[in-house]
Amino acid sequence: MLEARGLVKDYRRDRAVDGVDLVVRAGERVALLGPNGAGKTTTLLMILGVVSPDEGAVTICGFDLARHRSQAAECVGFAAGYLPLTERMRVREYLRLYAQLYGIADPHPLIDEGLERFRIADLASAMGTELSSGQRTLIGIVRATLHRPRLLVLDEPTASLDPDVAQRVRGGLLDLCDRDGTAMLMTSHDMSDVIQVCERVVFLSHGRIVADGPPEAVASAYGRGDLEGVFLHLAERHEPTGAQQSDHP
Amino acid sequence: MSQLAAAKPMSTRAKSWLRMRAIARRHAYVLVRSPHRLFDVSLWPLVDVLLFGSLAAFVGTSGSTPAAKASGYLLAGIVLWHVIYQSQIAMSTGLLEETWTRNLLNLMVTPLREVEYLGGVALFGMVKLVIGVGVMVLGALTFFSFHTWSLGFGLVPIVAVLLIVGWAISLFVMGLVLRFGTGAEALAWGVMFVLLPLSGVFYPTKALPALMRPLALALPTTHAFTALRSLVDHRGTDWSQLTIAAAGSAAMLGLSMWFLVAMLRTFRKRGYITRYT
Repeated sequence: MLEARGLVKDYRRDRAVDGVDLVVRAGERVALLGPNGAGKTTTLLMILGVVSPDEGAVTICGFDLARHRSQAAECVGFAAGYLPLTERMRVREYLRLYAQLYGIADPHPLIDEGLERFRIADLASAMGTELSSGQRTLIGIVRATLHRPRLLVLDEPTASLDPDVAQRVRGGLLDLCDRDGTAMLMTSHDMSDVIQVCERVVFLSHGRIVADGPPEAVASAYGRGDLEGVFLHLAERHEPTGAQQSDHP
Repeated sequence: MSQLAAAKPMSTRAKSWLRMRAIARRHAYVLVRSPHRLFDVSLWPLVDVLLFGSLAAFVGTSGSTPAAKASGYLLAGIVLWHVIYQSQIAMSTGLLEETWTRNLLNLMVTPLREVEYLGGVALFGMVKLVIGVGVMVLGALTFFSFHTWSLGFGLVPIVAVLLIVGWAISLFVMGLVLRFGTGAEALAWGVMFVLLPLSGVFYPTKALPALMRPLALALPTTHAFTALRSLVDHRGTDWSQLTIAAAGSAAMLGLSMWFLVAMLRTFRKRGYITRYT
């Protein structure tokens, strides 16, 4: 489904991503974790084709992203807690716009179904500016899933949500993945998201993958009781100390 | 079976057309739901036609032949100037709107191709152009009895050249915005104020200071407006000037496209998307 090989990205001051290899198989739900500045978002942006890697290549659904970005993007849905809704549009108009960008000529049945899945059908005629940040996130997720993507990429999907709404999002995403066999790659700082939704975690630190496996296996490899412990351990190591420290267990 | 699976597969061309219409519709919502933006296609064109029409009327009262000519130049010039203005502003502000509202990432992760996005904003720009220039043509007729269409079919190639120049400038401005961020947006408007006097929109370029004339002659717009004055003077279509204007505008468009592609590559390479997230 997704194959990223040898991804490297240098920004002016430092190396953001340093040789990341990541494979996500059909139907697999993977969390990309790590402290702030570990390279998660840059990795996602390279996988989405928005930032070009200095080295390495990405293949999505068999399409080489560098050469066939549009075809590859048809297989992918993306939502992020920080993304705004397109302004001056009602929710249904907004969802129609993006459905059409994915090549769906008559998206209204899919829009109804998507809104229903996350129990927000009452927002269909609301203007984007009338929505709370949590509602905007939900609409963003509906948008990302309208075209039944084979790979769903989510950056902090529950960042601004109340616990009950976050739970609804997790349920909706699991339902979608189970029904359509959608693969998922998500970042989150909320470990309850990860434990409930993902069957595999990939930890990044200093732009490198330092752990990859089922959540329990990764936690025990680091000698921690849970993922939170691994996260805190890596975050501590991520602080700039001037001395090189190993991020590996 | 899901709706998606049941749907008839669309051809690549049909998908492209669907995406372009979607982008055009998105910008139409912005226009209709932002009353102040409607001024661009209603009030400001009308103000321009009133200003330059009144100047033309004032100049024309002297009764001399050059003055009568100048009044025609002023009105025809301002109407045709809006072809460049509207096409340029509609496309440039199309991209700027995405940056102002941090919508760029939303679009860039979709299958939308760059050329489809440009096609969509150009399509919307054509609608704005028709409305804006339509308002001017009607204003010129109503207030000053100036029949723009009396200039004849020779207007068609002139409009086409000016349209291409407007698009070329907007592609250049878009490239600058991608490279330097929204700080470059001042150029979206500023570049027009440089082009306006140099192109001899209202007067032959021999009226310009001698130092400026070579620069003026290098612009395709100068030749397009020279051809326009030929129509105003009832000398028919000046094909030699139009040929130079067409070649110049095509070269300008090619250069602008190259510049935009290069800036887009830099945008992706340097990860400038983070400016808008």
